Amino acid sequence: MNHMRDAELAALAHAGDRRAFGELVSRYTPQARRLARTILGDPDDADDAAQDGFLAALRHLGRYDPTRPFGPWLLRIVANAASDRRRRRRVRTAEPLPPNLATGGVGADKAADLGRLNEAIRAALSQLSERQRVAVVLFDVEGYSHREIGEVLNVPEGTVRSDVFHGRRALRELLGSWKDWNKES
Amino acid sequence: MPRTSPFDHEPDTDLGRVLRDALTLEDDAAFSRRVAAAAEAVYGERSPGQWWTVLTVWARPGLVAAMLIIAAVAFWAGIWVGQSAGSASAAAAMDPLRTDSEQLAVPSLLAARQAPDVDVVLAAAMGR
Repeated sequence: MNHMRDAELAALAHAGDRRAFGELVSRYTPQARRLARTILGDPDDADDAAQDGFLAALRHLGRYDPTRPFGPWLLRIVANAASDRRRRRRVRTAEPLPPNLATGGVGADKAADLGRLNEAIRAALSQLSERQRVAVVLFDVEGYSHREIGEVLNVPEGTVRSDVFHGRRALRELLGSWKDWNKES
Repeated sequence: MPRTSPFDHEPDTDLGRVLRDALTLEDDAAFSRRVAAAAEAVYGERSPGQWWTVLTVWARPGLVAAMLIIAAVAFWAGIWVGQSAGSASAAAAMDPLRTDSEQLAVPSLLAARQAPDVDVVLAAAMGR
């Protein structure tokens, strides 16, 4: 089934083909988990939300328009599932900025530095609005177009451009003390 | 540090790489298996709908098949009734206890394989 297009797999999965659904899940698992983590922060919550998203997509596969890309359709459902979960959580567990974000710098221990950098990046992301961080991650990490991200977020393309720009700028300012963050990994 | 403008339409690969590293969770395969297992419950929920779906799908060809069967049964029943009627009229024609006019009753004429003579039909109608 590796060679089949998403729309074909979606049709088969809708007709009850478990393997087709499994293939779609395998294709989109990394993106869905990253997106859910972008919104929720906590890895366990992210996995729960990503799973909710996949199952909701399975229930509503009949509504998927096969003439349109499957990724944005699925990720919109995953994003909604993550946002719903975050709202249900009520108490927002904002990750505090780690001390090393302010002082930053590259130490001798490369692995430890990378771990701290990842922490710092997640903390910096959590300072952005949900829409900005989703826009940045979908654009710079997942490679979606502004138009496709607009479908995921249900906002105009121009709003996505603005979110990507301002989100990037805020991230760079927050990570400013990591002089060479873009060379760390 | 790299700078971008609002008109920068290209993904920032450096930022994308560090974000990916920071957000990627371990063991995608285990997660996929977990979702697949949970999906079984969803497929189970859909079973009643599939029952109706199957009925809907089979309704039209089922009706056509039923009509064909009924038509075939009617055809064979018609042949069988025709043969029975034919043999009954033949038996009646040979009944020595009945007059010619009695033997030329309307049912016998209708069951006859060849068109009767006009005189015979008139005789039967007049009860002679």
